[in-house]
Amino acid sequence: MGEERQVMIETIDLHKYFKDQHVLKGISVKIYKGEVVAIIGPSGAGKSTFLRCINRLEEPSSGKIYIEGVDITSPRVDMNKIRSEIGFVFQSYNLFPHLTAIENIKLAPVHVRKIPEKEAEQKGLELLKKVGLEDKAHAYPDQLSGGQQQRVAIARALAMQPHMIFFDEPTSALDPEMIREVLDVMQNLAAEGMTMLVVSHELGFIREAATRVLVLADGCVIEEGLPRQLFNNPQHPRTKEFLSKIL
Amino acid sequence: MQTNQIRQSFYQRYREKFGHLPWYKRYEFLLPLSLFIILLGIFLPSGRPSNAIGWVLICTFIFIVLLWVVGVLTDVEKPRWLRAIAAFGLIFVFGFSFYRYSGARWDLFTKTFLNPSMMQGAWSELLLGLEMTLKLALVSMLISTVLGLIIAVLRSFKNPILEFFLIIYIDFFRAIPLIVLLVFVYYALPFLGIALDPYLAAILAVSLNYSAYVAEVFRSGIESIHRAQVEAARSLGLRSLQAMRLVILPQAVRVVVPPLTGLMVALLKDTALATIIGLPELLYKGIQTMIWKANPTPLVTVALIYLLVLLPLTRFSSYLERRSKKWVKSAR
Ligand SMILES: Nc1ncnc2c1ncn2[C@@H]1O[C@H](COP(=O)(O)OP(=O)(O)OP(=O)(O)O)[C@@H](O)[C@H]1O
Ligand SMILES: [Mg+2]
Repeated sequence: MGEERQVMIETIDLHKYFKDQHVLKGISVKIYKGEVVAIIGPSGAGKSTFLRCINRLEEPSSGKIYIEGVDITSPRVDMNKIRSEIGFVFQSYNLFPHLTAIENIKLAPVHVRKIPEKEAEQKGLELLKKVGLEDKAHAYPDQLSGGQQQRVAIARALAMQPHMIFFDEPTSALDPEMIREVLDVMQNLAAEGMTMLVVSHELGFIREAATRVLVLADGCVIEEGLPRQLFNNPQHPRTKEFLSKIL
Repeated sequence: MQTNQIRQSFYQRYREKFGHLPWYKRYEFLLPLSLFIILLGIFLPSGRPSNAIGWVLICTFIFIVLLWVVGVLTDVEKPRWLRAIAAFGLIFVFGFSFYRYSGARWDLFTKTFLNPSMMQGAWSELLLGLEMTLKLALVSMLISTVLGLIIAVLRSFKNPILEFFLIIYIDFFRAIPLIVLLVFVYYALPFLGIALDPYLAAILAVSLNYSAYVAEVFRSGIESIHRAQVEAARSLGLRSLQAMRLVILPQAVRVVVPPLTGLMVALLKDTALATIIGLPELLYKGIQTMIWKANPTPLVTVALIYLLVLLPLTRFSSYLERRSKKWVKSAR
């Protein structure tokens, strides 16, 4: 290894409680620029909570989180600035229903980045083209299929030119025939070198696109490794059990 | 054999409309109707009855009409036109019996309450009053909507201390009767060094009162928007006020507009209470002219003016409500 790889995300002993419930029990991970890290694990393991803590949609209870070297648990940090560098794609898309696809996409660039309306529109249309929806620019979310909505949501995240994107089960609310179209978009992103943190159980996608897999169970990272190695030869008994259920 | 055939032809004639019903169902309503007509023609007294038997007859008549009408109106299989006739029939029968038997002095009634000659010279006064009412209503609508919106937005930040004071504000102004508030603002505030003329006092009282209601309406609208919408907005880097302005409020407004127009209608009506502090609005002018003319016709006219202004508004608010229901349905 010649050059030092840039650390995009580092968490140190991250804990999260909901009331008495200990959901994250000391998670320490490092994620480097250009990595595509898949997070798998049983339901209720804390995968969503982990992602949401990293951009502080959920307040972590203790521990440190560094985004590109900035400690975001410090009270002085400008969280909106940090969040604008992190794309977030939700399981239920969460498009703004009162805005058209293109308006959804250009909202944040115009109001956060202060990019001129015209320019944002131009960029937005390019992004829609990239996700294969250039003809749906003026459709409202309720006029789009689930897969189309999720692709608009990805375009909306990309419009901020984020340094990394988190996906929380982006395809698990979709009908099988629409999953492919969303995964294709994600795979292209991965190939372009985007840093991605993906909670997903799409093993095909993970095999092809992920550079690393984290297994989360009961609020702990119990195992991690290359996809092939981890799927073919899991070490931890809980990983074995979990994989046998979804394979 | 033969009766069967007759029944058959009847059945065939009306099969298209009432295929699933026996033929007589269509005509059974005529039986009680003819009964009323007999009762009406033969037994009902032509004037105000002087003995108990007359009253019993009238009451029986009205009772039978009621039964018949309810029977027809609640039977969904009866054709629409028949149900319409039954409903109008009921109104007619009530009106007619009231007119005939209440002992009303119609000539005196019209002369006293609906006397056009008493409106001479009064119109300009009433129009001045209407202008004042509309001015007061519009200004108060504007202030209370803006104030209520600000309160609701502040509450959405869930700051416990702020919320505590806002809840006190809302509860206080929702609980206190507007008329009491008006009197307090106009007669008591001068002792605290704040002397307002009736117009400003009325604006202040109405706005304070209604801003509390408006705040509650906006709050429920804001809360009806799913939390995921805020999260999506925040995850893009929008500040919380931006998320409110660009994402939450535009969606909440669709939910809020129907109850809000309802409130505005109520506000317009409530401006009449400002009479008590001597604000020359529509009701005040009505009472004044009533005293001047020594006749209540101007007051009746005022009532009609209120109706004329408010009816379109209530229709409009129902229309918005229907439309918003459709929106909410299509959004799901
Ligand atoms: N806002 C919240 N308030 C209270 N408890 C919560 C909250 N969010 C999550 N939890 C709890 O935290 C635990 C972990 O939830 P989380 O959503 O992170 O799991 P997950 O691994 O994403 O599961 P899934 O695969 O079902 O999405 C669950 O037991 C859940 O009940
Ligand atoms: Mg989850």
